[in-house]
Amino acid sequence: MSTATRKVHLHVGTPKTGTSYLQHVLYHNRPKLHRHGIVYPADRFDAHFLAALDLMRMPWGGLEAQAIGAWDALAAKVRRAHGDAIISHEILATASRAQIGRALESLGHGTDSEIHLVLSVRDLVRQIPAEWQENVKHRAALGYCRFLDQIRDPRREGRIPTWFWGVQEIPDILDRWGADLPPEHIHVVTVPPAGGSPELLWKRFVAAFGLDGIDLQLDGERKNPSLGAAETTLIRRINRAANEELEPAHYRPLVRELLAHQTLSRRTATPRLALPPDVHAWATGLEEAWIGEIRARGYDVIGDLDDLRGVTPVIDFADPDHPDEAVVASAAVDALKAVLLDHARLQRELAQRDGELRDTQRQMEKAYLRPTYRLREKLVRRLETGSTGRLAMKAYRRARGRSSRSA
Amino acid sequence: MAEGAQREREARAWGWVAHLRDGGTTPWSAWGSAAGADEQFGRYLPGAQQLELLRRLNQRRLPAPELADRVLAASAPGRGLPDLGLVGVLPASAFGPPPVDPAALPADELVRVASALIAEDVVAAGDPVERRQPRLLRRRYRLLGDPELANPLRDALVADGRPPGGRRSTVVVAGTDLESMLVHLWTARSLGAGVRPWPDWLRLELGRATVPGRIDLAELAAEWVPRVGSDRVHVVLDDPRRAGRLAGRRRHVPIRPLSADAIELARRTAPVVGTLVTPEQRTALMWQRLRPVLAAHPGPPLRVPRRHRPWLTDRTDDLRRRLAAGDYAVHGVLADPVEHPAGRAGVRGPDDDRVLALAVELLLGPRIGTAQAEREAT
Repeated sequence: MSTATRKVHLHVGTPKTGTSYLQHVLYHNRPKLHRHGIVYPADRFDAHFLAALDLMRMPWGGLEAQAIGAWDALAAKVRRAHGDAIISHEILATASRAQIGRALESLGHGTDSEIHLVLSVRDLVRQIPAEWQENVKHRAALGYCRFLDQIRDPRREGRIPTWFWGVQEIPDILDRWGADLPPEHIHVVTVPPAGGSPELLWKRFVAAFGLDGIDLQLDGERKNPSLGAAETTLIRRINRAANEELEPAHYRPLVRELLAHQTLSRRTATPRLALPPDVHAWATGLEEAWIGEIRARGYDVIGDLDDLRGVTPVIDFADPDHPDEAVVASAAVDALKAVLLDHARLQRELAQRDGELRDTQRQMEKAYLRPTYRLREKLVRRLETGSTGRLAMKAYRRARGRSSRSA
Repeated sequence: MAEGAQREREARAWGWVAHLRDGGTTPWSAWGSAAGADEQFGRYLPGAQQLELLRRLNQRRLPAPELADRVLAASAPGRGLPDLGLVGVLPASAFGPPPVDPAALPADELVRVASALIAEDVVAAGDPVERRQPRLLRRRYRLLGDPELANPLRDALVADGRPPGGRRSTVVVAGTDLESMLVHLWTARSLGAGVRPWPDWLRLELGRATVPGRIDLAELAAEWVPRVGSDRVHVVLDDPRRAGRLAGRRRHVPIRPLSADAIELARRTAPVVGTLVTPEQRTALMWQRLRPVLAAHPGPPLRVPRRHRPWLTDRTDDLRRRLAAGDYAVHGVLADPVEHPAGRAGVRGPDDDRVLALAVELLLGPRIGTAQAEREAT
């Protein structure tokens, strides 16, 4: 008989299914959620990402140093809290069975917590190009065609396919995460087809996480915006040219944020990235198999499994491996402009800091140039040159009650 | 009927797990016995990687039961293949990674699991050495240059209450021949924040116009001359003991070289240690806990492939010219690239099978940080 005192909604993926938006809303509504007996335990926006890195011992460009102990701390907060809890990060989808066992145990599975697994899912026809784009925004330099070849290779060897299937293969993720949970505690949230009402996905999340009746603030949307085909190609070319020399710490703010998210994603009139028509049949075949499997397992589906069927192939496929060079060039001009403006902003900031530093230096010099200071400095220097003087200085410092050697 | 067959297949797999836990070495492909129900000791079957690593450990020497359990419960850290199923256990499925014969797994995947366990041992060994309070009367110094020469010496000085820095320091730039310095630099990065595999890293460095800044002895020395004066800057190429004396240490700090495979194992382990402790602690633990243990396992040294000899010669000449033109003391002469005699030629890169063999030795040896491990390391 269960003695659970709280429900823990554990959202483990998949990427590109509105997870950033969900996490943004939950993070910024923590006090309101708390008043309704739901804890979203995070003292920074990426707290659950850090916890996931810690659970899976995953290096992430130096960020892992901030993640040490983050999972246990998160689990402890969940178990201390009076009320239900929500944990959400999409990279949890790749966790191994051992890591999942540890995660569930630390959250009190089988003792004081009732775990509800939430997996938000989207059709492969949209997920595949989105994953390639995400790889490119994380420094990948491989072309779209090579990416598609790698993920279709049944051996699944190498970084790209292991990651792709780890976070996208819905039945396998549910197998790993759901092995110890009853199917009615596993909630599959489907992302509506493109062009549908933007509120619909949110309503499904509300149902999955038990947020009905809570008036959450939904503005200030935090998007993970997408790029067009030519724009993605531009980033890939930049990766190829700069990867060897650009440190990870600089890549994220300059390439991913400034160029991709803040600049190139605004070019919404250019052709979008899509699945090539010749790969479409393979992807939809998988979708059908997955739909059948999920239906057979009897999970709680929020939405419609038909949403997992991708749309028909695009007619004018914009191949990012053979892009319209004029579009790439115009994207490059936009990118260069953004870099110039940002550089100018930094120059202004630098000049301002330089002025502040000079002011401080002048004031310090003024203080040092006071006759009494100079006299004292001269005296100390003279005393330090002889053994008697050094002894006198030692005695003085001891009497003064500090060990500093400064004058 | 089908369910019964499936139960039989799973029982066979659990039987193999029990066999391995008892120290067995039979490969999965030759295994036939089923386990009793009481021998199914886990919530799920361990992955093929974990099971095969345990079999390799058993082949070498019987591990302690605690180690066997740790291996079976381990997760491969970071990105890479997920835990794989055993071929012939699960029915053919359209989902999940394809099951494998564990004996056919690449050594690299087993090293990945082993690195997680070694990293845990390194962290469990705890802070390396007690440090004396800084001495009031000590020589002020800064130690730069070849990290394999400078870092252990600096660590010894710090432990002895002689931290670097301070006004009017003597700047000691330690170096040796350029090929060794390149290997040493990759070693230091492998023990530190992380670095690409040797062939990739070397290709990148050899593509640059200058030698890496950390081992550009002339540049390092020249940078310090205006700050401390030319009489306080020494480039030491002849004898590491001289570097120690100039920095204020009379006792020699012996530095045991690492084999190519030991460096690679460190490179694989350091990122995992970095997920468990802060970067500063990682560096200290890797240099002072893991490095001595790795150095106790001999193996072929790492060499720059012969085809890069012209690059080494050019850069050595250039560095030698700049050192000669510098306004500071240079002790010794920068050696020419060496033609290594047959038998001591070393290797052009680490080898996954040897790295795995070394990882197995480390796991089966005394726990890192224990008195026995320290004794064997010295």
